[in-house]
Amino acid sequence: MEIAYRLERPIALTARLTVEGFTVLLGLSGEGKSSLLKAIAGLLPAAGEPYGGLAPQARPVGYLPQGAGLFPHLKAWENVAFALPRGPARRAAACDLLAAMGVEEAAERRPAALSGGERQRVALARALARRPRLLLLDEPTAALDVATRDEIAAELVGRVRRLGIPALAVTHDPHLAAIADRMAVMEAGRILQQGRPGAVFAAPASAGVARLLGFRNLLAATVAAAGPGLVRLDCAGLSLLAAAPAGAWQGRAGVAIRSEEIGLLAADADGEGPNRFPVRIATVREEALALRLTTAGPPALDLLLARRDLPAATLAPGGMAVCAIDPAHIHLFQPPP
Amino acid sequence: MTRSGHPAAAAAGVAVLAILVAPFLALAFATRWAGFHLAPGDGGAVAVSLGLSLVSLGLIALAGTPLAYWLARRQGRGGGVIDALVLLPFLTPPLAMGILLAALYGPYGPAGQLLERLGLVLTNSAPAFVAAQIYGAMPYYVVAARAAFAAVPADYEEIALTLGKSPWAVFWRVSLPLARLGLAAGLATAWVRALGEFGIVLIIAYFPQGMPVKLWVDLQDSGLGAVFPLLWVFLLVAMPLPLALGIFTRRRYA
Repeated sequence: MEIAYRLERPIALTARLTVEGFTVLLGLSGEGKSSLLKAIAGLLPAAGEPYGGLAPQARPVGYLPQGAGLFPHLKAWENVAFALPRGPARRAAACDLLAAMGVEEAAERRPAALSGGERQRVALARALARRPRLLLLDEPTAALDVATRDEIAAELVGRVRRLGIPALAVTHDPHLAAIADRMAVMEAGRILQQGRPGAVFAAPASAGVARLLGFRNLLAATVAAAGPGLVRLDCAGLSLLAAAPAGAWQGRAGVAIRSEEIGLLAADADGEGPNRFPVRIATVREEALALRLTTAGPPALDLLLARRDLPAATLAPGGMAVCAIDPAHIHLFQPPP
Repeated sequence: MTRSGHPAAAAAGVAVLAILVAPFLALAFATRWAGFHLAPGDGGAVAVSLGLSLVSLGLIALAGTPLAYWLARRQGRGGGVIDALVLLPFLTPPLAMGILLAALYGPYGPAGQLLERLGLVLTNSAPAFVAAQIYGAMPYYVVAARAAFAAVPADYEEIALTLGKSPWAVFWRVSLPLARLGLAAGLATAWVRALGEFGIVLIIAYFPQGMPVKLWVDLQDSGLGAVFPLLWVFLLVAMPLPLALGIFTRRRYA
């Protein structure tokens, strides 16, 4: 399904994107992503397709706001039945929908007595009651407990996929984008990039996209030599080999490297390999079972080492080590003109 | 610090509460319970007050609810002016309001003359009594109901729209039930204001006599002791509904 909407208020934005299966629109808070969903649902004045010009009650969309938005004065089944026509079969139909979402045991409870995941499933059942042709989900993982968030998010994506209804979820959570069928990235009121998550994560089109996807190392480089599939870069005094996406690479280029894709070896480690260079460690901080390091530049790098990847030597600020980066993990993008 | 707060604050609170409740205890002691009886005409005053206050309350709910909802949901400019217009009758002393109404609806007032030609006399009549109560009590209901509607997140109404309901259905099935406690509290306040309305009634609806005016007349004619029985009835009629609602609402939100 193609979506093209333009908003002026409360924030100016233009969005043109393809929704296929479970599609995630990734953007920072305040980008107007929620406004876009409301506009598609007809709750904000906007021009666009599909459903442009229709009253909200006439649009076949299932809208799930942040935190699910269940009516607090109604029990779970009554929430679902809200959208169903009155009649003797109403309650049974509502309970069937709850059962299909795996929350039939919640039918008699009020929203305040449900967990975040249960609320979301009840809200999904309620949205399905009006047979939508498009699902709109606003920050579906925001109200979930951190401990179970990824699990519930994966289950939600699977559930929506099985329903066969195209869904557009907006979020600032790159994890949700990573498990989606398709994703788009929004910055400054525009869609910067869209495609399959694997393709987008592997080739962020700009520094802004890379930052949203969780890349912490964003560097400027110059292309020294370009060969088939590989380019040699001058980057802050280092000579790096990078796998180059298709296209003509010359002059300036942007480089994005994920913190967890930079390896660290002991200063006296043996062996040869591309992209190995000595670094001085600037800071060391524990992040649960992993270790986050920064190096004194240039280039100042941010590393996240899983404990199985830690070198035997103790790491301390001021100490020396060797960085190793696989050329496939150095992502190039065209710099802004 | 304990859960009940600072001991000094608690002591001061109890003292002030005692001062507030003292008049009711005084009434209980001052009443001559032997030979407790209503004065002639008191029964009629009770009937007038109850009957017409119910009519007023119904009209207040009917007219005040849409106004309050509009005030709570309206956007755009002119907010200050509209707020001032809402507060104007709310802040006007009853006696002053009575005089204003006499000037507008009285036999020589512009609206009064017009309505009289249509057969509606708004001086010393049942409609005048109801009008006095509405002017006295409706602002209290509107202010409370507006706050109650404003406290209902607009998100719920929006979701209800996306579930295929018309704005009218959304109002009945979402806005109204979610605001019901605040609306009930507003109605209870309006009930007490309407039933107890004296200043406006005195000017434009001295007749038919409801409880407040009858109490005033009895007080002039027979003195303090003679009005206690009607006063008991007055308090017993006016209080139960708002008290029950007040306690219910507190429990609900506690």
